[in-house]
Amino acid sequence: MKIICIIKQVPDAEARIRSTAAGIDLEGVTFVIDGMDEYGVEQALRIRESGVEAEIIAVALGPKRYEEAIRTALAMGADRAIHLETEEAFDPITQAKLLAKVVGEEAADLLLVGGKEADWDSAALGAATAEALGWPHSDWTTELELTANSAKVTHDADEGSEVLTLPLPAVITTQQGLNEPRYPTLPNIMKAKRKELKKLSLDDVGGAVSKIVILKQEIQTRERLNKIIEGDPMEAAQQLVKLLQQDKVI
Amino acid sequence: MVNEIAILDTKQMNFALPEDLLMMQRSVREFAKREIEPLAAELDKRPQFPWQTLSMMGEMGLLGIMTPERYGGAGLDTLSYVVLLEEIAAADAAHSTIMGVTSGLPQDILLNHGSAAQKERYLPKLASGEWIGSFCLSEPHCGSDAVAMKARALKVDGGYKLSGTKAWITSGGEAQVYLVMAKTDPTAGARGVSCFVIEKGTPGMYFGKPEEKLGQHAAITTTVSFDDCFVGDDALVGSLGQGFVIAMSSLDSGRIGIGAQAVGISRAAFELARLYAAERQAFGKSIREFQGVSFKLADMATRIEAARLLTYRAAWLKDRGYRVTQEAAMAKLFASETSAFVTHQALQILGGYGYSKDYPAERYFRDARVTEIYEGTSEIQRMVIARQVYRDLGN
Ligand SMILES: Cc1cc2nc3c(=O)[nH]c(=O)nc-3n(C[C@H](O)[C@H](O)[C@H](O)COP(=O)(O)OP(=O)(O)OC[C@H]3O[C@@H](n4cnc5c(N)ncnc54)[C@H](O)[C@@H]3O)c2cc1C
Repeated sequence: MKIICIIKQVPDAEARIRSTAAGIDLEGVTFVIDGMDEYGVEQALRIRESGVEAEIIAVALGPKRYEEAIRTALAMGADRAIHLETEEAFDPITQAKLLAKVVGEEAADLLLVGGKEADWDSAALGAATAEALGWPHSDWTTELELTANSAKVTHDADEGSEVLTLPLPAVITTQQGLNEPRYPTLPNIMKAKRKELKKLSLDDVGGAVSKIVILKQEIQTRERLNKIIEGDPMEAAQQLVKLLQQDKVI
Repeated sequence: MVNEIAILDTKQMNFALPEDLLMMQRSVREFAKREIEPLAAELDKRPQFPWQTLSMMGEMGLLGIMTPERYGGAGLDTLSYVVLLEEIAAADAAHSTIMGVTSGLPQDILLNHGSAAQKERYLPKLASGEWIGSFCLSEPHCGSDAVAMKARALKVDGGYKLSGTKAWITSGGEAQVYLVMAKTDPTAGARGVSCFVIEKGTPGMYFGKPEEKLGQHAAITTTVSFDDCFVGDDALVGSLGQGFVIAMSSLDSGRIGIGAQAVGISRAAFELARLYAAERQAFGKSIREFQGVSFKLADMATRIEAARLLTYRAAWLKDRGYRVTQEAAMAKLFASETSAFVTHQALQILGGYGYSKDYPAERYFRDARVTEIYEGTSEIQRMVIARQVYRDLGN
């Protein structure tokens, strides 16, 4: 079978990111493969290691710098990669349409997508790609088991979890808990350099126009009140309740 | 002093690390930060040989970096080794000591001097981390003057009988494979020393209690004693009487590793002090704005950079087949003294918190100290270098 893992590159969680009038300044920031996408790659590798004959392809849509994240997926064990290279930023619906073309062309049986992007926090891509492909979709997936032509999944629902079976081909988006991704071994990092990384341009997949235009970007900051209530616990608790009521929290 | 190596290679001068090495560095940094660094304080408080993380390192290929792929290693060069060892040392010095010994000494020795059978038997298990290796040269009464060793290997029918005590053995009792230097001819000085590979569990081999040390507690250190311990002829590594030469030549690569380790500890201490100085306020500003603090940071950064370059260069020359006795000694000497300087200054910059176990500054300070002692003290490195600078006039 053919498994495609969608890869995104995001700033390292510890990176200090500045916001300027022109938008988010990513100068000097370390980028890594999105952790949610790593779950996808790891799951694909585990499927293969369980004895299923599978070719694993990492696919990314993004700027040139994404190459590093793609190499990480290859170093983890993906067989080859396709990089749809563009410096333009697209909305998830347009991204999904572009990626669906690549996935369709490869005639994949299973598509693994990160549950939520670590930078802009969008969780739309998996669902949108399923829609574009007309495939069934399981979101927030924490368990995945393959049978001959279906996938049995456990996924988080609003209150609790559900177990579903989906006919293949299908789109699975990942959730924390699906697995514990491996670290690439040194020999596999060396090998990753020699694996195929095919480049595609937007024209190769018919081009695209984003449905949204970004006017301004800002970093979310949380102002804290820094109120510390001291003294006798009983009195402090009463004061806390009063404050919470005042601010209409309770 | 004319350095011919530098003249030969000026056309190739290139300070960029290869792309795949950068990727390995990033990957190992991430691993060390996530898996090793969080354990360091606890391992310091309640020392335990860190088998679990060592086995993860083994899986990644970090315990056999320079051992060829044919023997299950990663088949990389010395430069890769020092770059990656620095990453482990920055997370926890004890891990890097165990890593440095098992890869820099036993694997290096077996690879260069072992018989085909010895290589087949030991290298794959050492390179994968299934087994850890130890190096036994020092004794309770002699370290710098290693030729004064008393350990004796007496020729008997079919093999040798060893007796004597080795001291300060890193991974003693935990390691499976011991490269032991003992005298086969006590009248022949350095030429009377031979090297043996001995497995844990051999009758007549005993381990002492872990030494209580200043730092690096998880890198367990014990004595290893031999009491009429019989080993077969096939335990001899290299030829009879070659043991001292083997030990000294492996120390060339071992010392480059200590250089990398010292750079790693220094880097961790510097990074801690750098961030602390940007946050801590005194007299209405952050302390980094005081020249007295910022100049310390400037000196620390400069020395770390110099130490790293000396270490890289020694590794790079070794990879090109040069004998690096002098360069390895210089890298080890400068990097270890740098780590003492940098960890001292880092502790100072953190003030009272530097002296407290709430921050790792005091641990870095303790962990760094031994880099000036093992694999040849700073005094011994200076002797080696001084001898080398008069090479042309004859030693
Ligand atoms: C944590 C730790 C781990 C170790 N791991 C190992 C290991 O795995 N295997 C192993 O074989 N050994 C190991 N050692 C031993 C280490 O290599 C020795 O401690 C070191 O070589 C110094 O020897 P020594 O302690 O006998 O000191 P000595 O040789 O007694 O030296 C004492 C002092 O005298 C100085 N000195 C000696 N000779 C001269 C001279 N000619 N000129 C000027 N100064 C001189 C020394 O520099 C030192 O300051 C380890 C030591 C430690 C502390």
